[in-house]
Amino acid sequence: MKLNKIILSFISALAILLSSSATSFAKVVGDKIVLGSAISLTGKYSSNGVHTQNGYNMAVDRINSMGGVKVGGKTYKFEIIYYDDESNPKRAAQLAERLISQDGVEYMLGPYSSGLTKAIAPVTEKYGVPMVEANGASRSLFTKGYKYLFAVLAPANLYLDVAIDLAVEKNGGKPVSVAMAFEQDAFSQDVRLGVLEAIERTGSKKVIDDKLPKELNDMAATLAKVKAVKPDVLVVSGHTKGALTAIRQIAEMKVDVPMLAMTHCDAAKLSKQHGKNSQYALCASQWHKTLTYKDDFFKDGMTYDADFKKLFDYAPPYQAAESSAALLVFKDAFERANSFDKVKVRDALAATDMQTFYGNIKFAAGGQNVDKPMVLFQVMCDGDKCENKVVAPTKWASAELIHPIPSWSKR
Amino acid sequence: MKNNNIILYAAILIFGVLAPFILPAFKVQLSILCILIVLALTWNIQGGEMGYNSFGNILFYGLGMYICASVQVGMFFPLAEWTESGGEKTFVHSPTQFFQGMAFGLLAAAIVPTIVAGLIGYSILGLRGHYFAICTLGLGVAAGEISGGIEIIGAGQGFTTPPFPDVGSLESRGQFFYFLSFIVLVLTFIAVKSVYSTRFKLVLNAIRDNEDKAEAMGIQTMKYKIIGWMISAFFCGLAGGIMGGLVGYIDSTDVAFDGREMGVFMVLMAILGGKGTLWGPVIGATLFHLFKEGFWTYFLGWQYVALGVLIVVIVIYFPEGLMGWLREKYPERFGEVVDEADRKAQVELK
Repeated sequence: MKLNKIILSFISALAILLSSSATSFAKVVGDKIVLGSAISLTGKYSSNGVHTQNGYNMAVDRINSMGGVKVGGKTYKFEIIYYDDESNPKRAAQLAERLISQDGVEYMLGPYSSGLTKAIAPVTEKYGVPMVEANGASRSLFTKGYKYLFAVLAPANLYLDVAIDLAVEKNGGKPVSVAMAFEQDAFSQDVRLGVLEAIERTGSKKVIDDKLPKELNDMAATLAKVKAVKPDVLVVSGHTKGALTAIRQIAEMKVDVPMLAMTHCDAAKLSKQHGKNSQYALCASQWHKTLTYKDDFFKDGMTYDADFKKLFDYAPPYQAAESSAALLVFKDAFERANSFDKVKVRDALAATDMQTFYGNIKFAAGGQNVDKPMVLFQVMCDGDKCENKVVAPTKWASAELIHPIPSWSKR
Repeated sequence: MKNNNIILYAAILIFGVLAPFILPAFKVQLSILCILIVLALTWNIQGGEMGYNSFGNILFYGLGMYICASVQVGMFFPLAEWTESGGEKTFVHSPTQFFQGMAFGLLAAAIVPTIVAGLIGYSILGLRGHYFAICTLGLGVAAGEISGGIEIIGAGQGFTTPPFPDVGSLESRGQFFYFLSFIVLVLTFIAVKSVYSTRFKLVLNAIRDNEDKAEAMGIQTMKYKIIGWMISAFFCGLAGGIMGGLVGYIDSTDVAFDGREMGVFMVLMAILGGKGTLWGPVIGATLFHLFKEGFWTYFLGWQYVALGVLIVVIVIYFPEGLMGWLREKYPERFGEVVDEADRKAQVELK
């Protein structure tokens, strides 16, 4: 009986607590434009989540200190509200809802990874909140007819198909045999689709097609097969952990393969963490510091690289660079829209056509950036010092591709 | 029913019905709260009343999620094309299709896990203690990995559930999912409460306290264990189906068979509130959700540390859960008769 009273008072306390915590502040407060973002600060994407956040923060500071955003004759500054999505799509969708309906955010920056972007996009779309994202590359994001989603990066299926073409070219135009190992997640599976298309296009053969679990810590079984089958190309994709695991185990097991193509080499700081073991790995990248794009805020890739190192004490992976570019896109769109109306900002975003230090940005109807090709770099070592050098496309190549990779016995 | 009880239930019902209008910004959190309470309530049937610490209830939740979404899509469009290449093609559900699909999807999401529970129950519920816990833990993990390899439900690419159709205002999606989860919560509560008021609960308690003795008394323990699990599976499946629609994107290990989050949370919530009681899981889930949301806002990046501290505090200071602690402190409020003289004597002894 009295127990009921306890429960009743408990419920009323809960109601009071909830209603008092509903603080809603608008999208533009004073001279601040508030952007919202759910970022993976913990969980399996935490390292890339931090790269993304660093990229966002650096661009916010840079834009604010260089005059901010001018809308309607007034100057505004960017501010970002972050939440931790724990690398979990369920959490990300909840947080997007929370940013929009509770915090009153009207402009969003993307999370890290395709899976999380897939979970957030339906929410931003429902509320008509423009989202510029820099880390969701899965092609299916751009075929859904989303109107408020804009990605500054090239879609995932374009990451490694060039590598297959390159292998065929080096093989004298003859088809090659390809071993593939991809993590079970939206991004890596999309990279796989791109590679499959390239295999079909070139008449090549897939000899291994392994799906690896998330949080990839062991791929010895796949590598044992690679040793036995001896393919011409080994393709691996599994975010940062996948790249680290692949390099560690390939070196341990002394797996010889003429070409090793991967993703996330720079995010994993391969050349620094694994040094010579990572030598000759061929990596897909959205950006490289030696590319010759320019803008007014970060000047060019080399300057961005130096400034980023000064701030965060490590070389910026492309995940950071593209995240910084997302804010440049937002600034540009706000100024062209000359308004804070969501629809007008959205229309301005759709009409974006600009160059940043990270590359040209122009959105197709689906929201993907169609004006920026991928680059491939190879880890090359001079003594103990290893560096990433662009080898394709030829327009930006600063080194010749080393092919085939010398066998471990000769290294 | 006593007068007080009627007032209490009426108050909760009224609060539940009005909640999305009083707190319009919190609809999603409130819906998730309902789902969490359903999971905690159903886990309590095994973990609390029967003494079987199941980590496998997440299996039914995930199954329900995939089945509901698959039925909702498959009734009107080819499922394989929907999920192909992570959803290259987009089909649009009309409002009627969406709601019809959801209704049949939820029906299937409740029935199939119930049947699965009945089928696997006979072998798995034969295990006891740690062996049962570990076996059920494996169930969830295995289901996550297997479903991550099945192409027709999207495999590693994930499964985007049908988007909510354009009906009503911006608020209607939130309201729809809130009321759906609230109705399921009410149904679950009624079902659990009525089950607990029968001999069934006594049998479960007998199994918890001494299974061999219960068997020796002629109780067919296996039958009761399986039926208990089937009841849990029924409501877990429903909860999963709703959650899939609410999140909008199903990932095999992170959303559906999310053993390390949802699977553990349902245990934590029941223990926090007090397992083996009717209200314990409800209170535990509510507190847990409040704490978690609070930690997420104010301890960004440290939320799991804060949650860890909370768990340690619970285990040390409230090992029997909040309800257990209250019961010990104020036994008379739980309808237990206390002899004043006896209590005084106890206090003096201390």
